[in-house]
Amino acid sequence: MSPTRAPVPPSPARTARQLREATSSARRRHRPDADLNPLRQGLRLERVPDPCSFVLFGATGDLAHRKVIPAIYQLWRTNLLPAEFSIVAVARRPYTDEAFVAEVRASVEANSRVQPVDEAAWAELAKRITYQQLDFGDDAGFDRLGERLDALDGERGTAGNRLFYLATQPSQVTEIVHQLGRVGLDHELRGSGWRRVVVEKPFGRDYESARRLNHEVAKVFRESQVYRIDHYLGKETVRNLLVFRFGNGIFEPVWNRSYVDHVQITVAESLGVEGRGAFYEETGASRDILQNHLLQLMTLVAMEPPSSFHADALRDQKLAVLRAIATPNVERVRHDVVRGQYGPGWVAGVETPGYRAEPEVDPESETETYVAGRFTIEDWRWSGVPFYLRAGKRLPKRATEIAIQFKEVPLPLFRESTGDPAPNVLAMRIQPDEGIMLRFAAKVPGLGLDVRTVNMDFDYGTSFAVDSPDAYETLILDALLGDASLFTRADEVEAAWAVVTPIIEGWAAMPAPRFPNYAAGTWGPEAADELMERDGRRWRRI
Amino acid sequence: MAPNLSPPEVLHSVPEIERALAHIWADAATHRGDGEHHVAARSSVLNLVVIAGPRETSDRCAAIIEATAGRHPSRSLILSALDDEGRPGLDATIQTVAVATAAGADQTGAETIYVTVRGETSHHLASIIAPLLVHDLPVALWWPRDPQFSSHRADRLLPIADRLIVDGSSWSGDGLDRLGAMALVTEGRRLVVADFALLRQARWREALASVYDLPDLRPHLRAIRSITVEFAAPQGGDPTGLTNIVRPVYHVAWLASRLGMSVVDPMRRLPDGRRVATLRQGDHAVAAEWRPVCSDLGEGSTVRVGIVSRLPGAELVGDVTAGDLSVEVAIHDKGRERVRRTYLAPRLGDVDLLERALEDSASDSVAAEALAMAGHLIAAEPTPRRAVARSRRKTQEPGP
Repeated sequence: MSPTRAPVPPSPARTARQLREATSSARRRHRPDADLNPLRQGLRLERVPDPCSFVLFGATGDLAHRKVIPAIYQLWRTNLLPAEFSIVAVARRPYTDEAFVAEVRASVEANSRVQPVDEAAWAELAKRITYQQLDFGDDAGFDRLGERLDALDGERGTAGNRLFYLATQPSQVTEIVHQLGRVGLDHELRGSGWRRVVVEKPFGRDYESARRLNHEVAKVFRESQVYRIDHYLGKETVRNLLVFRFGNGIFEPVWNRSYVDHVQITVAESLGVEGRGAFYEETGASRDILQNHLLQLMTLVAMEPPSSFHADALRDQKLAVLRAIATPNVERVRHDVVRGQYGPGWVAGVETPGYRAEPEVDPESETETYVAGRFTIEDWRWSGVPFYLRAGKRLPKRATEIAIQFKEVPLPLFRESTGDPAPNVLAMRIQPDEGIMLRFAAKVPGLGLDVRTVNMDFDYGTSFAVDSPDAYETLILDALLGDASLFTRADEVEAAWAVVTPIIEGWAAMPAPRFPNYAAGTWGPEAADELMERDGRRWRRI
Repeated sequence: MAPNLSPPEVLHSVPEIERALAHIWADAATHRGDGEHHVAARSSVLNLVVIAGPRETSDRCAAIIEATAGRHPSRSLILSALDDEGRPGLDATIQTVAVATAAGADQTGAETIYVTVRGETSHHLASIIAPLLVHDLPVALWWPRDPQFSSHRADRLLPIADRLIVDGSSWSGDGLDRLGAMALVTEGRRLVVADFALLRQARWREALASVYDLPDLRPHLRAIRSITVEFAAPQGGDPTGLTNIVRPVYHVAWLASRLGMSVVDPMRRLPDGRRVATLRQGDHAVAAEWRPVCSDLGEGSTVRVGIVSRLPGAELVGDVTAGDLSVEVAIHDKGRERVRRTYLAPRLGDVDLLERALEDSASDSVAAEALAMAGHLIAAEPTPRRAVARSRRKTQEPGP
């Protein structure tokens, strides 16, 4: 045995929640009277959700059936929900409790990530599901909902705790929130339990509409009661970004303008709009991906280390990044941002139609299915380091990746020994095949001094071949636990829109490009390549 | 699982093993395992050393390790010391496996080295292990049968390891001497102990913790008056006192360590087969009792854990029982049933246990405190040999 062998390193699989719990454990050692269950230390969860009612608006919709209810089932199946738990499913269509339970049972069968459905677990959960028909404009209906929740507190021991999950059309959010406020379902009076509301993205269509939405929600709920869900933030590998950056000491010293040449973030989809043409016509790539997923990834890459993994400490640092992004004016939009729309082409050997030929899409549509931009962060760490962001549909493959390209060595001693002196790159693949890759130069074995670029590839799948929880499981559990770290705060949403809205407005003020401008199955319009080439760079081949 | 990449050539020295390993991995870099996927860059996460003893143990461990290879690609050394008296030497074979980690994904590889030692060599296992470890990776030492903690072999092997994996519930006799020895030998070391006996109880711990999840019941955690553990025993009475009761002891040790209890009177055996101890929590005594009962479960398995707590005007009784697939919790508050819930929690198999033993770092400190408390409960005393070793460690090793 080597006497200098290092102690066992902490498990790299630790998640943000585990880090938070570890932090709180350390703190608890100095606070023996903390109101936690000491028997839970070292178990899967150091806290379990309080008894509560989960009120699911839009319960008959696609999101509820595909994601929310299967996630709740999975949490229930793995004993992560309390026995005193009830689901009140709310929607406009008429159902009996039995008919609704039968329908969601079929959804769980179709969408649960663990098959087959565990009959005993489902039977117990099904007992806790009730359905309430409710038109969101019906005052009396909301009164009845309040009465029903009060009754459930007595029958099921849900202790007055309520989580309202709005899996509805965005346009219905304000109305539902107002109704909840009108009947007092937002009130957290002393001893009456907590009240939380989960709102699905999109959070507005632009800066002004986001502000209005936040304002309307804030009329009823305090910010600490509001959980804006962007499922991307619940993905295991996105959360691992935090561990990678702040759980390792060797990267921080080079994570700045002195060493980083530029950053590329790519969210590529091979799919088209998949039957959601009407929705996509109203959003486009900038609203659908840039405003949330891409900017969220950018904040996680660029943020300063938070003082803890508690919600506001984390979100304060992300907000600081968003506010430091240089807001593009019309001229910069023209110069630094590219939009595209796919035409017909071939993806993975299959001929696909152009965007304008998709169902529910205007044949003259000017909606962008691709966006790429050059962004800068005006702070001491990142000043002068461009962040190139791109997202698109019908690209050659599905891939999400963050690549940190480092500066070249100051004196290229081996320039003559290699045909392609590629600089170091640290690439973090988010999906698929989550992993981390470091590119560096190595000598080719032999008598000469030939240098070649090699990749050192770490694949999460080969080291941790274990099923990750679905993002909705993570986020719903966090909301039930009152942990808002992975949810977006109102000021974050507005700051992100403050970056994207000038782009949308700039495009509106200038002639549209000639769409379609890229063929399905290619890496986007030529203008996107030119954007990089102007800076002497190129997009990574993914 | 792709076929074995290497022939089972018998090797006779550590350098031969080292050369063979280097050769195998050089080949693997270009080998087309099934004609479609090549073996990906190796991402070993640990060294797993098994002190296996007889052949059947070695085979069983190998099967378990193989089943975990996709999740924990490791270098595994399975050592069997067969003949103390024979000519010194070793025979070794290497088996490599390539595991497809996901549909269409690259494969990862892991190697298992089987070493059989003879004669004087069997006293020097550590000297064989050290050069065969993958550099700078954690070392897990799995001692599946009855480890001899007070032995020269343990003195040499334990310093190699970062993590010791044992199964206290398989130890001979009641297991308590060995449990006490383990508590002492690991005290003050930078050695994490993962005991299958404790890991098996994870579902019990979740269930017991759930008794106090309701905020209004949490004050009862400071008012525990008795802990009763019923365990399966022959004729329901454990007449010989030889039923392994490591698991039942762990229940009390875990509860006591988590709830800040201390041992007043260590465990003693009563004529009727019961064992009792007295603990203290704050200013009140806590009666601990281990009660043998008739059960279809295997000997030494926990059948029921009952906890009684008492606050002024309120008595809370938490009862947890378990079957093969589930754990049931019943809470009676002031004599009335407050909660009854069945948790779906199947018993863990050997593969699950090994995986948890290798990766469950979150509960390491909890396990260490439970083990230390178990040592206090059974009044483990250091033997002179151990006392010397401990004092030597304390002077040589920096504190944790």
